[in-house]
Amino acid sequence: MTLEAVKFAAADNLWSAIFPELLLGGLALLLLALEILLPKRLHAVIPDVAAAGVAGTLIGMLVNLQFTTGAMTFNGLLQHSTGGQLMRVFFLLCALLVFLLARVSLARQPMPRVEFYHIVLVVTATMMLLAQSNNFVMLFVALETLTIGLYILVAYFRTSTASLEAGLKYLVMGALSSGLLLFGIVLLYGVAGSPSLPSHTVEPLNYDELGRFLAGNPHNFLASLGIALVLAGIAFKIGAFPFQIWVPDVYQGAPTPVTAFLAVASKAAGFAVLLGLCGPGGPFASYGWLVTPALTAMAAATILFGNLAALTQSNVKRLIGLSGVSHAGFLLLGVVASSASPHAIGAVYFYLFAYLIASFTVFGVMVHVAGADDSDQQLDHYAGLARRNPFLATVLAVGLGSLAGIPPLAGFMGKFLIFVAAFEAGARWLLAVAAVGVVISIYYYFGWIKAAFFDTWVPPTDPAATPTGTPPGRTVKVTLAVLALLSIGLGFYQGPLGQWLTLR
Amino acid sequence: MADVLFNVFALLTVIAAAGVVLNRNAVNASMCLLLSLVGVAGLFVALDAYLLAFLLLLVYAGAIVALFLFIVMLLDAKGDVPAPIHKIPLLARIMAFALVTVGLISFFTRGRIVSPDLATTPALGSSLKLYAYQLFTIYLLPVQILGFLLLIAMLGVIVLSKKFEGMDDIK
Repeated sequence: MTLEAVKFAAADNLWSAIFPELLLGGLALLLLALEILLPKRLHAVIPDVAAAGVAGTLIGMLVNLQFTTGAMTFNGLLQHSTGGQLMRVFFLLCALLVFLLARVSLARQPMPRVEFYHIVLVVTATMMLLAQSNNFVMLFVALETLTIGLYILVAYFRTSTASLEAGLKYLVMGALSSGLLLFGIVLLYGVAGSPSLPSHTVEPLNYDELGRFLAGNPHNFLASLGIALVLAGIAFKIGAFPFQIWVPDVYQGAPTPVTAFLAVASKAAGFAVLLGLCGPGGPFASYGWLVTPALTAMAAATILFGNLAALTQSNVKRLIGLSGVSHAGFLLLGVVASSASPHAIGAVYFYLFAYLIASFTVFGVMVHVAGADDSDQQLDHYAGLARRNPFLATVLAVGLGSLAGIPPLAGFMGKFLIFVAAFEAGARWLLAVAAVGVVISIYYYFGWIKAAFFDTWVPPTDPAATPTGTPPGRTVKVTLAVLALLSIGLGFYQGPLGQWLTLR
Repeated sequence: MADVLFNVFALLTVIAAAGVVLNRNAVNASMCLLLSLVGVAGLFVALDAYLLAFLLLLVYAGAIVALFLFIVMLLDAKGDVPAPIHKIPLLARIMAFALVTVGLISFFTRGRIVSPDLATTPALGSSLKLYAYQLFTIYLLPVQILGFLLLIAMLGVIVLSKKFEGMDDIK
């Protein structure tokens, strides 16, 4: 490498292109500095600083939102596509809502606060980079940072054994999935860099170079093994069958805000990666003979397993975790369709946004109904919620209805768009499986709504067994109301937003 | 000369690796792992991959095996009586047999693998200088992210393990 080449490579590190991520990183460091510098009585201001910083970044992102089609920076490590921009907005929204939940949830626990916000900020920034990565080095580094941050967050309520157990389980399963992913990447690196094969490349970790190699060797055994392992590693992250075994325990044990973060942001990050790899123009596009059947089978099994397993749950965190598995199945259906239908990618993004809105509505109610023991949130605790707090009950019904896909809510439109895309792609029997899944899901979502709205006779229990919960503050009320209205509004009128998401 | 070195290091690697598996004493097994890693590092030197050899010794032999030894000594693990072979699950036996078979076949047929032309193979990362150039130009962003990774890992260890004495420590 000559000095000119070094200078050239350094000049391509366009830091202004990742300004939002840099802001989040700087903000995270600022929080730690504030904790040291401020006197203790002012420490309550730190979460506000974090939330204000994220909100400012989000507004800045939205104002400066521009769809550069595929500009690359950092020597091909990052590609700034439309999808990447959307996901950046998505993750910033997630972080903001997680902060809101964390304020309610952390207040009940004798735990340090600042570190929680710090880690969420760093994880959010790496998720935003992950959604734009165009190179396996970048992908792996970002994914590991995000996963290690989540290990800590899952075990954060260390006074609760359930949280610690969840952290350990997540650590073991996460390490296994990282191992699979890395093994797949190394196989791809080795085979695409082998000089004895046609169209080999010196930069096999770059998506475009790898895609060129794979197109030139469409039936290489080692490459297909590598692809299968990479897909398995990502399937762990999104909780797709048969890699969903960690989901119920981890979702139950994790603090509720972290459960929300796992369910929405971590899953969306997995799908951003999956779309980047398997979507049209991705490096795995020429291995459709392997990728499409694998993802199709996975989608069908995931939808059925998630819904059937959620049927018997009485703990709402396990229920939402397993229903999240089935949502991953519906999203996989969209990914499968993306190879043949031009609308599929937009449908996946729309579904993700609808899922974000509905999930955070439900989680927002959950943190207020929950008591001091965060992992013990039973369906029975929702009995009479409509009498105790009609506002929370109404919001919960809207959120659950949207998750179940009841027209005219946003969740219905999300499912509808995905089904249309799948129909266009000709995945008929998969559509039938998905329809069965939707019907099953309505049963358990409405069981939850029924518990909140209709009084049923319950055996007289110790009144102390039902947690009293926390009444929602004004900010939370406004946010939950806005989220519920968004769920309703997006169902009726997608308008320019829907066009923008689905047609682009 | 190169062949003699290869044979010496390869023998060291394999014998030490067998020692890891066969040793009943966990401390001795860890020391065998160390020896095996030294053998692999020697093979890397024979391939002119000095940086890899150096990193292997530094990271694996230096840090990770030392960590193993710490844990082994802390837990005071003693070797158990080996399970009789009929207690081992059938699936495990079949898989072990298959792995050995595949290993032997690939060992005896290795002459047929077309080895790439060495002159065309780029040697990026083989020298410390090129490696450093790449690290500080092309891969500068991942390096920065890893900085944050280490920071949150450290914070996580503190949050999850520090003794909170009374509510004063908790803000």
